[in-house]
Amino acid sequence: MGLHVAPKTAEQSPIIEFRNVEKSFGAIKVLDQLCFSVKPGEHLALIGPSGSGKTTILRMLMTLESVTAGDVVVNGVSLNHEYKNAKEFPASEAHLRKMRSDFGMVFQHFNLFPHKTAIQNVTLAPVLTGLLSKAEAKKRGLELLEKVGLADKADEYPSRLSGGQKQRVAIARALALQPKILLLDEITSALDPELVEEVLNVITNLRNETDMTMLLVTHEMGFAKDFADRVLFFERGKIVEEGPPGEIFHSPLHERTKSFLRKVIAAGQRV
Amino acid sequence: MNWSWDYVSEITPSLLQGLLVTVQITLISSVVAMAVGLFFAIAKMSANRWISRIAVMVTEAIRRTPLLVQLYFLFYVLPDIGIVLSPLVAGIVGLGLHYATYVSEVYRAGLINVPKGQWEAARACNLTGRQTWTQIILPQAIPPMIPPLGNYVIAMFKETPILSAITVLDIMGEALAQANFSYRYLEPITLVATGFLFVSLCSAAVIRLLENQLNLRAA
Repeated sequence: MGLHVAPKTAEQSPIIEFRNVEKSFGAIKVLDQLCFSVKPGEHLALIGPSGSGKTTILRMLMTLESVTAGDVVVNGVSLNHEYKNAKEFPASEAHLRKMRSDFGMVFQHFNLFPHKTAIQNVTLAPVLTGLLSKAEAKKRGLELLEKVGLADKADEYPSRLSGGQKQRVAIARALALQPKILLLDEITSALDPELVEEVLNVITNLRNETDMTMLLVTHEMGFAKDFADRVLFFERGKIVEEGPPGEIFHSPLHERTKSFLRKVIAAGQRV
Repeated sequence: MNWSWDYVSEITPSLLQGLLVTVQITLISSVVAMAVGLFFAIAKMSANRWISRIAVMVTEAIRRTPLLVQLYFLFYVLPDIGIVLSPLVAGIVGLGLHYATYVSEVYRAGLINVPKGQWEAARACNLTGRQTWTQIILPQAIPPMIPPLGNYVIAMFKETPILSAITVLDIMGEALAQANFSYRYLEPITLVATGFLFVSLCSAAVIRLLENQLNLRAA
C-alpha cells in the first residue's frame, strides 16, 4: 500500500490509479511497471501504435483481464484484491461485480446482443442488476436512445442497423447503468469512414454535458485532440509521453511520439 | 414370391406394438443422449485439463467403436461382473451413450460459436454468471443446435433395429420373430421399412417446421 501519496483535497484524489501494473500474455509483456492516475471527470485519450497496451488498460478496468503484478485502484479500492481482517485475498466475483458497477464500456465491435432489440439491449442490464424497474428502465432507455438519435430504431434488431447505429446503441447500453467512468475502446475503428462522425458527435455531446470520467483509446488523432484534457502516448506497455493535447500533438518532446504522429499524418489524418 | 394380405393383417398388430417400442426407445434414448451429452460437453470444455482430457478420451473411445459391439458388451459381458441389464435397459443405455458423444459435439460447437464479445459485453453489463448463461449465451447457442440434434434423433430412430441383436422386441425384433415362425420375410420386412419410412418422414417434417420457426425468429 501507499506507493502513491494522495493529494489532500477530495476533488483531486484520483478516481483511478495504476500502481506498477504489469500484464503478460505468456512470454509477451503487454504492460510494464505502469503507473498513472486519472482525476474524477477527466477526459483521457490513450494513443499509440497497435499492441502498445492501451486496450488492455481498459479491459483491466472492466475486469475482463487480470493483472499479472501490481494493483489497479478505483476510488481508493483495489480492483484485484480484497482485504479481510487485514489479510489480502484475490478479488471475489462479488467484489468484482461491485467494482464493475462504476464502469461502462463501449467495444470496438459493438458486441450488441443480437437476439435483443435496441431498446432491450439498453434495458437488459439495469433491470437484471436491479438498478431500475422494468418501466423505469424502459423510460430511461428511450431517453438514452433519443439522446444518441435512435428513438425511431428502438424496436429494431441489431442486424437491421448500420455500424454507426449499432455503436450508438452500444453507447446507450453502456450509459444505462449510469456509470461514473466510461471506457471507449476504439469505438470507430470498425466503422465505415462515413459513419464515424455520427458516433463521435455522440461522444462529444456526452463529454460536454456530463461529468463522467472518460477514457478513450483511439486512432483518430483529430478527435483525441478535441476530446481529451490529457493525452497519454503509449509504446510497448509504457507511457512514453503525456500532457495536454496541444503539447503532445504540436510540440511532442520524444522522438517516438514525433515519428508516430508523422506516420499518422502521412496516412492522411488531421492532427 | 407372392404378397399375402392375410399374412399382413395377421402380423400387423404385433409389428405396431414393436413400432411403439421403437419410438419409446428412441425418445428415452434421446433424453439420455442429450443429458449425458451435456455432461460430456461441460467436461470437455472444463478449465481443468485432466477432466477435459479424460472426457475427450471417453467420448472418442465410444465414438470410434461400433454400437453393436457396445450393445453386446452391455448385455452379454456386464453380467459376468454381476451387472445384469434387461434388453430394453441395455439398449437404451447403449444407444443413449453412443449418441451422447455426438450430441456433446453439437453442444460444444453451439457454445463456441457464440462470439467472445458476447461474454465480455455481458460482463460489462455487470450480469451474474447465471444471467449471462440464461439471458445472453444460451438464447444464441440453442437455436443453431436444434437441426443437428433433430437429425441425431432421427439417426437414433433408424439405428434401433440393431437392438434386436440383444433380443429387444422393437419393430425389427417383432418382424424377425414372425419371420422365424413362418419363414416368410417379404411382408414383415416390407412392413418394417414402411413403418420406419412413415415415422422418419413425419419427424423430418416436424424438424423442418421447427427450423423455419427459428429462422423466422432470427430474421
